[in-house]
Order: sequence, then structure tokens, then C-alpha cells
Amino acid sequence: MAVASAFFRSSTSVFSAAVLLRVVLLVYGLVQDAYSPIKYTDIDYFVFTDAARFISQGQSPYARDTYRYTPLLAWLLYPTTWPGYWFSFGKVLFAIGDIAAGWMMFKILRNHSSMTKERALKFSSIWLLNPMVATISTRGSSEGLLGVIVIALLWAVLARRIALAGFLLGFAVHFKIYPFIYAASIVWWLGQGSTIQKPKSTKGPKSIMSKLANFVTKERIEFALYSIVAFLALNVVMYQAYGHAFLEHSYFYHLVRIDHRHNFSPYNTLLYLNSSPSNISSTSFELERLAFLPQLLLSVVMIPIALAKRDLPSTMLAQTFAFVAFNKVCTSQYFLWYMMFLPFYLPKSTLLQSGRIGGSALILWVLGQVAWLQQGYQLEFLGKSTFVPGLWASSILFFVINTGMLAIVIRDLKLGR
Amino acid sequence: MKQRITYLVPEADDFHPDLLSVRDASLSVRNLKAAKEHRITVGLSELPEKLRNVLGEWRELHIRWVSETPYDAPPPFTSRVSPGLHVFFTPEEKGLKAPLCPLLRQTFGHELKCNSTVTAFTKAPILSKRFSHSPSLQYHSHLPSITHLIRYIQDKLCPPSSSSCKNGASSLDSTSYTDIDYDTISHALTLNAFFPSAPDPSIGWTETISLPSTSSTIEIGILNHEPNPDPEDIAFAGFLTVLGKDTKPVPTRFQTITRHYPLSTQTTYKAHFQQPTGLHPTLQLTLTPPLTPPAQSCKLHTYLTLPSHLFLDPYSFRDPLFLASHNLTALHSLAGNTDLEAPDWVVSEWGSAALLELAIPPSTTSASSETGKEDDMTVTVPLHLRYLPAANRAHTSVPLPWPVVFWACRSEEGAAKMATNPFDRRVLGYEGLFGERTRFVHVPPAGGKVLVEWVDVPVLDLRKAGWVEMGTVGVVVAAFLVICWVLLFGGRRGGDQKKEVKSGKKKQ
Repeated sequence: MAVASAFFRSSTSVFSAAVLLRVVLLVYGLVQDAYSPIKYTDIDYFVFTDAARFISQGQSPYARDTYRYTPLLAWLLYPTTWPGYWFSFGKVLFAIGDIAAGWMMFKILRNHSSMTKERALKFSSIWLLNPMVATISTRGSSEGLLGVIVIALLWAVLARRIALAGFLLGFAVHFKIYPFIYAASIVWWLGQGSTIQKPKSTKGPKSIMSKLANFVTKERIEFALYSIVAFLALNVVMYQAYGHAFLEHSYFYHLVRIDHRHNFSPYNTLLYLNSSPSNISSTSFELERLAFLPQLLLSVVMIPIALAKRDLPSTMLAQTFAFVAFNKVCTSQYFLWYMMFLPFYLPKSTLLQSGRIGGSALILWVLGQVAWLQQGYQLEFLGKSTFVPGLWASSILFFVINTGMLAIVIRDLKLGR
Repeated sequence: MKQRITYLVPEADDFHPDLLSVRDASLSVRNLKAAKEHRITVGLSELPEKLRNVLGEWRELHIRWVSETPYDAPPPFTSRVSPGLHVFFTPEEKGLKAPLCPLLRQTFGHELKCNSTVTAFTKAPILSKRFSHSPSLQYHSHLPSITHLIRYIQDKLCPPSSSSCKNGASSLDSTSYTDIDYDTISHALTLNAFFPSAPDPSIGWTETISLPSTSSTIEIGILNHEPNPDPEDIAFAGFLTVLGKDTKPVPTRFQTITRHYPLSTQTTYKAHFQQPTGLHPTLQLTLTPPLTPPAQSCKLHTYLTLPSHLFLDPYSFRDPLFLASHNLTALHSLAGNTDLEAPDWVVSEWGSAALLELAIPPSTTSASSETGKEDDMTVTVPLHLRYLPAANRAHTSVPLPWPVVFWACRSEEGAAKMATNPFDRRVLGYEGLFGERTRFVHVPPAGGKVLVEWVDVPVLDLRKAGWVEMGTVGVVVAAFLVICWVLLFGGRRGGDQKKEVKSGKKKQ
């Protein structure tokens, strides 16, 4: 205990351990890739680096099949086209992004949650020393890079660096669309403690106009303008450079894709069923077309309005959790999207304060995935037709577990924890 | 109309000149134990107008249908193609709208997955520009029998009165392969059918061939394969008869260069899927030793014809360790749809074709036969399955024709010289992927019953899926309402009985 306590008292030791963990994984990855036909490196990393190679040859990154990202990512990985160990440049970059995100978490916990250094380091370690996080970035998945952008956004908002925050939001949405949900909570939160806000003593029904006038603050306008300009500017530049292929692959593809391949989403079996041509005879209401409704109502409208003013980082956790749980596609990489907010929420949460609730939640969350993975394994590797009821039921079960956890998070926030 | 009939007698002892007799304009054979090739060339003007107009739209069209039943391939009929229907064609520049798909469905069966010529065909990658005759578009379909084609010929092409035409068409039923070729230069349609033996091999061929009309010619050869005088040539001896011209069989002896050679060793291969197949089946090729290259320049290859429900991921084939672990050297060519994400029902192409080079284990190349018996060599090709439509069953079975396996070797002679071989068989899908100075030495399949493997693909079982839509929607709506309730009323002071509420921490 004393050793652990001493460890968490020094930021040097925690960050050194975080760096060491990633160095070890990077080297391990190099060895496995060199000697085994089964690669440590993520398949997506080959997609990014191929796209970078196309760029280095003066071609479009979209010349690489399944490259569905902004050309910026391929440009960022340009050094991977240089010979030798430069190929791993991207993984190092993603790992540095991880550490930077962890450092900002630490700063936010210290400055905005007023935590002691030791406690702040402990909670940042949920991210910094998390083997799942370190593995994902050192395998070369870009989710880690997104983490640093989103945490930087949170830090900039909390530090009231509105212009920077606006730019980061525009950049994050350009990078991966889904962070647009944070616009709602940030805009709502910005009303808090704003200098223009009227004293609370004002009583009686306000006119809509005055409510609107109260809502439209300088900060909110500034934030909206910076984010929209950054988003549009990036898109215009990329469109100029890469034309329709850019819009097609980084945006439209994500909007029209049918994810019929099995994944954690509760909609998965329904999407396979209703996109399958043999099913035209049956009477389907195609209700899955409305799947965006509960998802966006919760993550963009209801959760931000109900909670953002109480606690922005935890609201962002709830938003992301709702977005991922109600999404039409869900893979384990998406879990990283909300994991990055756990250090802000957990310190005050029921999950930590009641060992019974926290423990059961964690066990259920893991069991939900295990049940699904077991069915998925039977399908994918043994060829058993587990689509119904097994795979469907386990994805529904996992969804129910997620809903329960979301309810706990929201309740905690409402209780002001 | 021109016809050429060739009987190839594998055992020279099986043939006596008295097994055949020439009388007037006809030739009779009796108990002739031989393979037979029947080639019919029809001028464009002899065809029905409808078909003539359609053919005029194309520069060249080559159809190869191969039976799934294993057969022996004696020289000069050595070349091999995977079972099923293969179509290679080049439209006239303006005529990409050529309605080939409707014609194919009309002639070979309406179940063919060929909705539009533009989308169903794939572009064949031509590595060798010198192979100027390689057609630009390719199509394949599983097709166990050509009874539909036989009926089409009988109903649409045969003169109503000609029973010999109709009988000839029905004999196609027992071919091992049937080729149909058309090109604008020759202005003629050629049908070439190969029978590895008489319908009853123990009796042999007993038939009379007579000239149907004075305007047609029939040439009949009865040949025996002779040992190679020159390693690049094949030689034959036997009799030729031109009906109506020759009164008795004319002895002949000739040798010719050839593109396709038989293997001199006993090597064969087998194909099957490793179990369990799952959604990522692995095709396993087992080759029996010796795997000594026929010549130094020879490289062992396999050419796969993958229907759209199966595909391979070209990116994984770039890793030398991955290739080595499967006993492969390289993926030289891949044409067709390899979209990793699409389910089968959105893929309009017929599938994809892949050319792989196989790694020969060093022990077999050095021909170390100290132990006397070498182990079989195993080559694996990792494949992936697409999602298939939901159905009233748990699994849907889908076919994969056995790939062909051959040594590709440097040849002293070019393709133009090879084409002088009267039995030259061109446009098989894979020759265009090699340089023109290439000869092919074929490894024969050691077949079981059929040269097609089937794989069971798990599909969404509609019989059990009745509750999926309502169940999913119900659970999502309920979850949404629960979250709404928590957002509105959850954590309200007093509205919550839980004791651990630390009111002191509350901000409001």
C-alpha cells in the first residue's frame, strides 16, 4: 500500500510508467510483426499507412480501399512512408497522444475538480495505465488520437479558451463526426457563470425574446463561429484537394452504410434482417430507419439540457455512453470514446462509492460482452448459425446492461455527485 | 458449316484400321476406345438473324463450360479450366450496352447471376500487353450441366427437320468441356466439345458420321499420341479422312508445338475446405510429391475462380510471413470484387479471379528421396465469406469450383507459333496473366466425385426471426423511456428512497 501510495504521489513515476507501458507494447509489437504471420499491428494502421504512401506518390489517399477518414490523418502519418523504423511513427504519435490526453486529464482534475495531486494521478491512471488504451494506440488505431483532441476540447472549454475550444470541436468533428454531440453540452454549459448572465433574482415569466437574448451570449456566439469556421475551412481545403472522394468516404459513407456484419449494437440483427433481399415479402415497418431518433434525442438534446450545467465532463460521458449504446454500429473501439471521461465521473460516482453497485456493474458489463463474444465466436469461427436467438439476445442483453449503467450515471449527475 | 472430329486413341494397341470404314460420304467407327473432340464452325450467315445481330455487337466472345466430373486429359487436350461456366468477351467500342446477360440466361439458364453486362462482368487484368487477343471482360458462374444450352440449340438453332442436329446437340450432355468462340475477324461461331471417352467406355465409340449436305465439310482424324521427339513438341500418328473427298483413311504423322503440356510425373492435387469453415473458410490444396519443376524456369501456380460469396483480402497477401505460413509465394493477380464490407446481395459482379504462386518446399525441389516416400505438400488459401440473404434455414450451401494448378514455364517459342497447333485452346482466363513466351504444364486433379467444394454459410434463420423486429424496437423504446424518466425524475430529493444520498454534497 505504501509503495502504491508513494507511486501515485509522484507525477514522474505515473507518467514514466505510462510511457514505459507503451514502449514495451511498441517493441513487443515490432517483434511479433517481424516473426509471426499474425500481426500485432491493427489492420486499420495498414490502411492509414497505405493512404500515406499514396499521398507521398502524389495520389489521393482514397486510392486505398476502405480509407474512410480525413486526408489529414494520412498527411499526419506521412513520415511512415520513410524507410526503416519510421513505419512505426504513427503508433508513436498515437501513444504520445494518449499520454498528452492523460496529462490534460490530470490538469483538469487538479484545477477544475480541485483534487489532491495523488488522487488526480490515481484517476488519470484509469486512462494512462489502462492496458486497453495503451494497446489500442500502440496497435495503430487512430481512436487514441481522437482522445487527445476531445480531452483538449474539454480542457479548453473549462479554461474558457473559447476560440481554441471552437477550433478543436470543428477539428474533432472533421476528424470523426461523432464529437458534434459535444457542441450541445458545451453551448449549454457556457451559459453558466457567464458575465452577461442576469442576476437570478429576476422573477416572473420571461418573454421568449428575453430568454433568447439571455441564451445568445458572446461566448456562445464565439464558440459557434470558431467551430463552424474551423469545420468548414477544413472541409473546403480537403474538398479542394481531393474532391468528391473526400466527401464520399469521410462523410457520406458513414451516413449510408448498412452494418449488417455482426457487432455489439442492439440493431444489428434487425439491420441484417431488413437489408436482406429475401425479406421483402414480410411486413416490416423499417423502424430501424428511426434509430437515430432516440440516439440523438438523448445524446444531443435531453442529456445536455438536463445535466451540462451541473457537470460538463460527466455530461459528456453520459452523452457518449448514450450515443454508443443506441448506435446502429458498435464495436469495442467505441468503448474508448466514453472511457476517456471516466476519470472525471468516477471519483464521485455510485459505482465507486458503493462497491456492490460498482462491482456488479463492472461484472455485468464484462459478462454482457463475454456472452456476445461467445455467440460471435460460434458464428465466426465454428460456422454455427447463432444470429437468432443467441447473438441477438446477447446484444440486447448488453444494451440493457448499458442502459442500466447510463441510468446510474445520469442519476448520479442529478444528485450532484 | 465445317466440322472436325478427332478421336484420340490413348492405347495404340486398341486401334486397328478395320475398326473404321469409309463408304460414299460417310465414315463408320466401331468399338473405338478413344477420347473425342468435335469442332463445328458455323458461318455468321448460317445463323438465325436474331443471334447474328447480337453477335455483331461484340469483337470477340469465348465461352468455356467445364463439367464438374473429373476427367482424363490426354494430349493434345491437356489444358484445364475450373468447372462451371466461364465467359470472356470484348465488346465493340461503342457497344458496351451489348445484351450479353440476357443471351447467357436464355442459353445457359435463368438462374445465372447476370443482371447487367456492365456490372456483372469484371475487367480482366492483362499483365502482358503482347497477349493482344486477351478479352477485356470476364464472367463465371457455377453451372453443373448444360441441358439448357442443349435445349436452346435444339429449339432455336437446329433446322426443325434435322434429327442429326438434335441428336448431336443432346450428345453435348456427356462432354467434359464445351467451348464456344466467336470473333469479328473470322465471322464464324465455333463450338468445340470434348468427350474423354465414349458414353460407355467399355464399348467405345460406335457411330457413323455422314456429310449432311454438299456445302459442308467434315474432316475426321484418328490419332495416337507418340513419344516426344522434341521436349517442346508433341507428336501424333494416325489417319485423316475428309468425307466426300477421301475414299479411304489417309495415314498421317505430324508434330506440333503446344501451349499446354501434361505432367510427366504422377503429381496430383486435391482441394477441400478445412473444418470448421466458419465465416473465414480456408481452402486447402494437397499436392502429392514429387514436386520437381518440369524445367528450371517453371513456377507452380494456382488460378482460383471465386464466386461472389467468397473473396480473399489482397492486403493480407502482401506480408511474406503470412504467405510463407500458407506455403504461398505471391498473389500475382486479383480481378473482380474484393470489397471487404459488402454483403453478397449488393455485389453485382460475378466474383473474382486470383492467380497465386505456390511455394515449393526445398526438400522436394532437391528431390531427396532417401526416405523413399515424401510427404504431401499442403497449400492453404485463407478466404472470407460474405453475408448471404436471410432464409428459412440456418445455413445456405454455396459452391467453389476447384482451382486449376499448373507449372508456368518459359517457352522457346512465342504465342503466335503456339497458335499454329490445330488443337490450341486459347482464352482460359489465366494465360493473359503471363508473358507470351509461356507454356503451361498441368497438374491433374485427383478428384473424388465432383471438382466442386461446398461450404455451409450460417445465415439468419427467418423461422426464428419473427420476434426480432418487435423485440428490438420494444427494448430500445423501453430503454429510451427509462432514461427519459431518470433524466426527468431520477435523483429527485425525496423521490429516491436510497439512503446513500449524500445531501450535503448537493449543489442545489
